[in-house]
Amino acid sequence: MSDAESPATTEPTDPTREHETDFDPVSVFDGDETMDLRPGADNCYKCSVCDTACPVAEVDDDFPGPKFQGPEQWRLKRKDGGEIDDSIMSCSNCMRCDDACPSGVPLSQMHNTARGEYVDEQMDKLSREYVRNRILANYGTLARLGSKVPRLTNLVMGNSLVQKINEKVLGIPSERDFPAFASQTFREWWHERGGANVENEDKRIAYFHGCYSNYNTPEVAKALVRVFESFGYEVVVPRQRCSGTPMFANGMLDDAERAAGVNVGEFSDLLEAGYDVVASCTSCSMSLRQEYPELFELSGIEEVAANTYEALEYLRIHEDVRGALDDASVDDQALAYHAPCHARNQGLDRQAVELFRDLDGVLIEDVGDSCSGISGTYGWKEEKYETSMKIGEEMFEHMRDATGEVGMTECPTCSMQMEHGTGYDIKHPLQLLEEALC
Amino acid sequence: MSKRSRVLVIGGGSTGCGIARDLAMRGVDVTLVEKGNLTHGTTGRMHGLLHSGGRYAVSDQASAEECIQENRVLRRIASHCVEMTGGLFVQRPEDADEYFEQKLDGCRECGIPAEVLSAAEAREIEPYLAEDIERAIRVPDGAIDPFRLCVANAADAVEHGARVETHSEVTDVLVEDGEVVGVEVEHAAGSGKYVHGHPGETEKLYADYVVNATGAWAGQIGEMAGVEVAVRPSKGVMTIMNVRQVDTVINRCRPKGDADIVVPHETTCILGTTDEEVEDPEDYPEEGWEVDLMIDTLSELVPILDEARTIRSFWGVRPLYEPPEVGSEDPTDITRDFFLLDHDERDGLPGMASIVGGKLTTYRMMAEQISDHVCEKLGVDAECHTAEEPLPGSEDFSVLREWMDEFGLRSPIGKRSAQRLGSRTDEVLGEWDGPNPTVCECEAVTRAEINDAIDDAGSELNAVRLRTRASMGNCQGAFCCHRMANELSPEYDESVARKALDDLYQERWKGERHALWGEQLSQAMLKHLLHATTMNRDGDPAKTDDRVDFTAFDAGPDGGAAAGDGQQSEDAVADGGITDETNAGEGAADADS
Repeated sequence: MSDAESPATTEPTDPTREHETDFDPVSVFDGDETMDLRPGADNCYKCSVCDTACPVAEVDDDFPGPKFQGPEQWRLKRKDGGEIDDSIMSCSNCMRCDDACPSGVPLSQMHNTARGEYVDEQMDKLSREYVRNRILANYGTLARLGSKVPRLTNLVMGNSLVQKINEKVLGIPSERDFPAFASQTFREWWHERGGANVENEDKRIAYFHGCYSNYNTPEVAKALVRVFESFGYEVVVPRQRCSGTPMFANGMLDDAERAAGVNVGEFSDLLEAGYDVVASCTSCSMSLRQEYPELFELSGIEEVAANTYEALEYLRIHEDVRGALDDASVDDQALAYHAPCHARNQGLDRQAVELFRDLDGVLIEDVGDSCSGISGTYGWKEEKYETSMKIGEEMFEHMRDATGEVGMTECPTCSMQMEHGTGYDIKHPLQLLEEALC
Repeated sequence: MSKRSRVLVIGGGSTGCGIARDLAMRGVDVTLVEKGNLTHGTTGRMHGLLHSGGRYAVSDQASAEECIQENRVLRRIASHCVEMTGGLFVQRPEDADEYFEQKLDGCRECGIPAEVLSAAEAREIEPYLAEDIERAIRVPDGAIDPFRLCVANAADAVEHGARVETHSEVTDVLVEDGEVVGVEVEHAAGSGKYVHGHPGETEKLYADYVVNATGAWAGQIGEMAGVEVAVRPSKGVMTIMNVRQVDTVINRCRPKGDADIVVPHETTCILGTTDEEVEDPEDYPEEGWEVDLMIDTLSELVPILDEARTIRSFWGVRPLYEPPEVGSEDPTDITRDFFLLDHDERDGLPGMASIVGGKLTTYRMMAEQISDHVCEKLGVDAECHTAEEPLPGSEDFSVLREWMDEFGLRSPIGKRSAQRLGSRTDEVLGEWDGPNPTVCECEAVTRAEINDAIDDAGSELNAVRLRTRASMGNCQGAFCCHRMANELSPEYDESVARKALDDLYQERWKGERHALWGEQLSQAMLKHLLHATTMNRDGDPAKTDDRVDFTAFDAGPDGGAAAGDGQQSEDAVADGGITDETNAGEGAADADS
């Protein structure tokens, strides 16, 4: 239980842990170019299916699309340090192209690498865009401060004058309501509760809650704990930092690598003690599973990637969740479910519908395979707001067409967008499981 | 148009174009004839190595010295055709130390800057070198684009008053009173500013002096004049990889052998080569084992090649020559030096000289010596300036980068364009009026550059390809052949564009055939399906002259329903099992807004 009893902070306390990056098995490469993207570029035969799957290209004719951003640009800019085209910043990192590619081109890895290079080498570090992106990318840090005085922060951030100032000074669109901070974070609750209620040497998970369910929606994190405990799991909540998703999307790879260093260090120790890693956010699980090993060389990173799961996915693998739901029922409700792009990439886009469609009291409808358009921090940028809302239009429309007036999704920022576009309340599947089983 | 000039040069390769430029700059009235387009022969089929001379530093030091000298000249006068990648001679454990030392000494004796690198240092520069290499010698090898080089020479020759005739095949050498007085050419289809004749038409071109610069074809021209030129054409295969596995020229440090060089060239790497004597420079077998040999052998130096994607292979024919009395058995023993055969001295036939042997790196020096010879014959007293005057496109190349943003191109596209166009960038991109989309995505060629090439080369898209690299990337023209043909309109009519498109497509296929496995097989299949099915190019009624029976098509799902409601079927939406018709109708209406 020692892990659960660690200090509440999610920031690294031991500075040496931050720099656990001396292990570099490909040190023969000069400079920072540790990732070999040659086979990736070779794999592309230019069929352009990725371009047709790209939600940004669909609404923005000036965006050249994933094929250009990935294999084409990579091949053209060899070598001579050619510049990365600035359109890379219009990629929302939804990663649908990865899923669309029939030929195994690591598109998002190529995009992440190109974006990192662009931000490092070409972006003005004093520009408003850089400062704003850095703040957005490090939402976890911002949230840690804000949630110390949640009511005050909510009051200030909800003020329309502040929102105007944010737009003018930082380029954060005033149309968006800043997500409210919970009066008690999940980790505070966890410690107040005294940690786990179940001990079990055979079934144990290490929970990667991420930032949002800690600071903003602790009810999701609490639901996870209660649901997993109801299935007899021992839960630990180790020290952790942001998964890195918003950092990748903003090309802040150094920030992401520092955070990954902490996370991989903490979680790989737990793997040895028999824990699996479980996340309640599909972008967090995606990050640990795919982006970590694609972008960083850290000791234990492959093991962490191979043993990370999304919560529902994990339960569906190991437990008879459907059987458990057969005898359960919830208050009558109709839900409009949206599968996040990152869930789709992990093959999880149908899990909530499959699980809940037979649950007594529930009418759940899938609102289709479009992207919500917010893509994490993307829709939080003034210059991307319109694109973000255009992409989301299809989802909004289908939500309105659906019977239910409550949305459901696994992804925190998709839920912000769903709420923003429809005014519906949005639920996480774990919350419904909690209602049914706990 | 004058049928008479002072000098007539046969062969539009690097040597011929170099001679035409040299003579024109000296004020000599010169005409160049070429049976295909420029670089049709050997120049267009080489691996693009700008020799430092290191490859000849042991076996042929005279050539080595010429190479390093001309290497420096070309970096200066043809900077937009050259990429100074540097080169390495890499020693593997099974390669003799003695030869390594000889190579190093040889380089130093020939004035070639050479530096020994440890295996670790070499792998620092080129991480994909095999882990077990011993060491390497670093030399100033580079990559050169033979097409751009040749075209720039021809353009400058024309600028200085020369006449250049492509698609004009020499069918006879005219001999009168025991002296060569000109040639007869037959014009083939073609268009553009280097084409003046009509297809099928023959024409006699007279000149005071004829230079046979046809390389591997010199024997055939010699035969027409009744002299024997014993060229020994030797074929070599080159295999092009999809991406650059190395950014430095990699040579194997051992005595002559097949498959011992990798040249990074633009977006690709070219593996070379073999050396095998052939009878006919235009008809020889192209065999799969030769390609396999390239990949297998060079994988010993650069193991990743074994799994890397190949986009095509091509063969070139070296115009090797040695005086008949030498009698080398093995073509690899034949000198790479060039020979000027004065047929007056040698065969008692005045009015003509043949130039054989030699290599691209020293093309300018060869041209200078031949031009000196020609001037002496004609009594012209003029100095050669080709070593000082930059070629068109290579003047003030350094100022380019500052303008790049103005053209509204995406960074890598602008950069590639500028690298190809050199100092002509501003003229070609800056003066283009109207939208400038990327026509060839693989090689980043825009509409402006394609049109500039069409202005220069005419309707022949293979010539446009050579000037721009369009269709030379990984899709091999799948996405751009037809877009290139489209750019021929409205200047050229539909039948010309269609023929040009077919020619380009076939030319691409010729090399693709030798890379049909793995990803490139998928690529070739996609290309075939796009062109044969989506565009119906294998059964296009416009091409087959069949009438189209439009009544055979049905009227679509709405079958003649009144217009206005028609778009409903286009807007089928996947909205989670809502099948209610009213909803679907509303969805469709909303989607249009």
